[in-house]
Amino acid sequence: MIKLAAQQLSFRYQPTKSLIFDHLDFQVEPGTFSLLTGPSGCGKSTLFKLLAGLYPQYGGQIETGQVVLDGQNVAEILPNQRAKKVAMLFQNPSRQFAMRTVSEQLTFALENIQLPLVKIPQQIEKVLAVFNLDSFKQRKLQTLSGGEQQRVALATVLALDSQIILLDEPFANVDLTGRKQLLHDLKQLQLNYQKTILVADHDLSGYQGIADHLYHLDSKTPQITSRPLTELQQSATSWPVSLHKLNSGDLSWQQLTLVTAKRQLLTGSNFTLPRGQLGLLSGENGVGKSTLLAALSQLHPYQGQISYQQKAAQKFNQQHWNQLVGLVFQNSSDQFVRLSAQDEIKLSQKNSLQPKYWTIKRIIQCLQQLDLAGILDQVCYQLSGGQQKKLQLLSMLIMAQPVLLLDEPFAGLDPQSLKQALQLIRETATQLQLSSLIVSHQRAGVTEKLDYELELAHQQLTLLQGGLNNG
Amino acid sequence: MAKKRGLNASVMTVIMLGIGLPLSFSLSVTLNLVICSLALIYLIYCRVSLKTTLLVLLAALPLAFGSWWSFLIFGTGDQWHSAWIYGSRVYAYLLLGMTVTMNCRVKDLLLSLHLHLKLPATFAYGLLAAFNLLARIRQQYHQIQASAMMRGQVYHLWQPGLYLRIIIIALNWSGDLAAAMTSQGFTEGAKRTISFVDPLPRWQWLLTAGLIISYCWAAFVIQPW
Amino acid sequence: MFVKGAIFLINQSKKIHWTLRDVIFLAIIAIFFGIIYQLWSYAYYALAATPLKPYANDLTLGVWIMAGPLAGVLLQKAGASVIGEMLAAAVEMLLFSSWGASTLLSGFIQGIGNELGFACTGYRNWDKLGLICSALGSTIITFIWDLFQSGYRQYSFSLLIGLFVIRLISIGFFAGVLVYWIKKMVFKTGLIR
Repeated sequence: MIKLAAQQLSFRYQPTKSLIFDHLDFQVEPGTFSLLTGPSGCGKSTLFKLLAGLYPQYGGQIETGQVVLDGQNVAEILPNQRAKKVAMLFQNPSRQFAMRTVSEQLTFALENIQLPLVKIPQQIEKVLAVFNLDSFKQRKLQTLSGGEQQRVALATVLALDSQIILLDEPFANVDLTGRKQLLHDLKQLQLNYQKTILVADHDLSGYQGIADHLYHLDSKTPQITSRPLTELQQSATSWPVSLHKLNSGDLSWQQLTLVTAKRQLLTGSNFTLPRGQLGLLSGENGVGKSTLLAALSQLHPYQGQISYQQKAAQKFNQQHWNQLVGLVFQNSSDQFVRLSAQDEIKLSQKNSLQPKYWTIKRIIQCLQQLDLAGILDQVCYQLSGGQQKKLQLLSMLIMAQPVLLLDEPFAGLDPQSLKQALQLIRETATQLQLSSLIVSHQRAGVTEKLDYELELAHQQLTLLQGGLNNG
Repeated sequence: MAKKRGLNASVMTVIMLGIGLPLSFSLSVTLNLVICSLALIYLIYCRVSLKTTLLVLLAALPLAFGSWWSFLIFGTGDQWHSAWIYGSRVYAYLLLGMTVTMNCRVKDLLLSLHLHLKLPATFAYGLLAAFNLLARIRQQYHQIQASAMMRGQVYHLWQPGLYLRIIIIALNWSGDLAAAMTSQGFTEGAKRTISFVDPLPRWQWLLTAGLIISYCWAAFVIQPW
Repeated sequence: MFVKGAIFLINQSKKIHWTLRDVIFLAIIAIFFGIIYQLWSYAYYALAATPLKPYANDLTLGVWIMAGPLAGVLLQKAGASVIGEMLAAAVEMLLFSSWGASTLLSGFIQGIGNELGFACTGYRNWDKLGLICSALGSTIITFIWDLFQSGYRQYSFSLLIGLFVIRLISIGFFAGVLVYWIKKMVFKTGLIR
C-alpha cells in the first residue's frame, strides 16, 4: 500500500511571515480512515495542500523537510501521475470542477491521466454505479446541492483510482443527510476498495464507528497528536438558548420562500426581528442559513414579502436598503472596502449611522477591547484570520444599521476574543436598539448571551421554545 | 426543430477572422450586404433560434444607426456612401460573429480550437473552468457593490478600489479551481487522452480558403459600390 | 477563511509561460469586466445611437482597453498584455457581445498597442514609464486601426484631432493612471509579489 508522510516539514506562506509548521512529522496510516480535528485557522487546509503536493506550486515555501509519497517527494511528481496515488476534495464544492456536467467532468479527469479512450465510458459507468449517481450523468454541476457536488467529486477521485483521498472540511456546505451519505460512501471506499482516507473536520459528530484514528492539530504549537477514539463520543451538551420575551421590530417577512438551484430551502416563513435583541439562526450545514441572510440583505432572490416598517423591500433601492440592513459576511475579505485597518475603521466612523454613540473615545476603547489597537497601520488582507474577523465586526458595528445580520462572526476566534466580540455585539445592540441575527456553528460560550433561537430545518423556520425566561 | 450540424467550429472561426480582417479595409456596401445575407442564410440553415437572432440584430440597430448618421454629419467626400458602408459594416461584423457564437457551444468551440488550431489545453480548460463560474461571479459583483453600500460608499468605474476587490476574488477563485484541476491530474503541457469527436473534412478547409480568397478578390480587385 | 494562500509569485524569467492559474485568473477578471461593461453599455448606447457615436467610442475606449495593461502589470511577462486583452475579448464575444467578430479583432489590435508600449521599455519597466508607453502605444495603434475599421479617415481633420485627444485622455486615464493606482493597491496587499 502507498505511504504518505510529512517528514520534518517546515512551511511558511511568505518570507516575512512566521512558520505555519515547524519540523512537523505526520504519517497517514495506509488503508485506514483517519480524522484530523482542530480549530478553524489552525492550518488543516495548509497541511492537506502540502500532503496533496499542491503547495508550494500554489503558494508558500517549504523551509525544511518534505512530504514523501511512495518514496518520492510529492511536490515533484507530475500531477497526472500523482492523481493516481493521492487526490483531494475541497472545502468549497462548487469551485473544484472544470466542466459543466457530471459526465464531462469525469471524462476530463480520465483524459488527464491518459486512460485509453475505449476505457473511459465504462470507467464512468462503473463509478457512477458505485455511488448510485447513474441518473446524474447529464446533470449540470452548478445546479447540484453541496452534498451532491461532493459525491461527484468523490466519484471523480474513485475514477482516477487514487489510493489516498484527502478531504478538507468536505461538509462545510453539505446538509446532514448529505453528510451521513458521504461518510457512508467514504467508509465503503475504505473497506471495499482499500482506500486510505483522511478527513479534516472541526465537527466530530457522525464519525463514531467510522474513523479508525483521531488526530488533533493544535494551533499554538502546530504538532499533530493522536487522540483516543473515545473522544468521538461527545457529551450531549446542547447549549440551548433560553427564550426571552421578544420585542417588536422593524424588519419582518411574510410568506418568505427561498429557492436556490432548483432546491427549496424555505417555505412560507413569517417572522419579525425583535429590536434590541440578539437571535441565533441555527440549522445544519447547507440548509440555507447564509441564503436567508443574503435574501434579507436583498442579495438573493426570494418569493414573498420582506419589509421594513411595513414598507416592502422592493420600494427601497439597494443603496438605501443597505443603510437599514447590514451584513457581516462569512468571508472577511468580502467585507473590506479600504486597504489598511485604520482606513477601514475611519470609513465606518465617517459614515456611521450613529455618530453620537460612536465617538473617538468609544472606538478606541473597542479597538483595545478587541486587541486591534496595535495593528491599525497594517493592510487588512495581511492580518491573521482572527484579526480580520474582529476588524470586520467592529467596522460593521460602527456603521450601526438598525438591522445587523452576522454570518459566522466567531469563526477562527480564540475563546478570549470570542467573549470580547460577543460582549461588544451585545452592548451595541442593546444600547442602540439594533435587531441582530447571528449564524454561528459555535454554541459554547455564545448561547447564554442570546435572547432567542430560530432553527431552520426541513424548509421551516421555527422559534425554539427553550424555556421562557422573562429576566 | 433540432439544430443542424453546421461547419466545423474551427473552420467557422477562421472564416470569421479571415473575412473580418479584410472587411475592415474594404469599402463596399454591396459586399457588406452579401456577407450579411450569407451569414443569415447560414444561421437559418443551422436552425438557430429566430427570436434570439432578431433580438441581437435589433439591439445593434442603435449602433449601426449612430455610425450611419455620424458620417452624414461629420463625413467628408461621398457622405452617403460612407454612411452606408460603416452602417452596414456593424451588421456584417455582428452576423459574422453570430455564425460562430450562436452555432457552437463554448465548450465545443474551445475544444475544437484545441484539437485543430493548437490552442493549448491550459487555455481551453482554464477558460471553460472560469465560464462555469459565470453565475457566481455575477452574484459576487453585486455583493462587492453591496459591501460598499453598507459602509455608505458606492463603487464607481473609475475607482481603483473596485478593481482591487475583483482582483482579490479572482486570485482566490483561480487558486481554488487550478488547485482542484491539478489534483484531478491536469498537467500543463502534458499529453492527454482526447475523447472529443470533432470531424473536420478536407473540403471545409478548401471552402474556407475559397471564401476568404474570393472575398479579398471581390473587395480589393472588383471593388463594387 | 481568509486570503492566505493567495500569494501570486510573478515569474522572474521573461519566458512566456502561462500557467493554468494565470489563465483562470485573467478569465475571471475578464468576466467581471464583462459584467461592468454590460452595466455601463446603457450609457454608451444612449450616446452611440446619435451622430456622436465616434465621441462615445473614443470616450469609453479606455475602459475597454484596461484588461491588457492590467494583465501586463499584474503578471509582468512578455505577451501578457496581448494575451490578456485577447482573453478578455474572447470572454466578451462568447458571453456578452453585441459586436460580433470585431470584438476579437479589436482586442488583438488593442493588445498589440499595449504590448508595443511595454516592449519599448524592453519589458523592464512595468511601472509609470511602461504604462505611459503602453497608453501611447495603444492610443496610436487603435487610432490607425479606426482610420480604416471605423472609417475615421472619412471624417474631417478637425474632428479627427478632437477624437484623438479624447482617446488619449480616456486611455491615459483608464489604461494608464487607473491601472497604475490598481497596481499600487494590489502590491500593497502583499497578495502578489
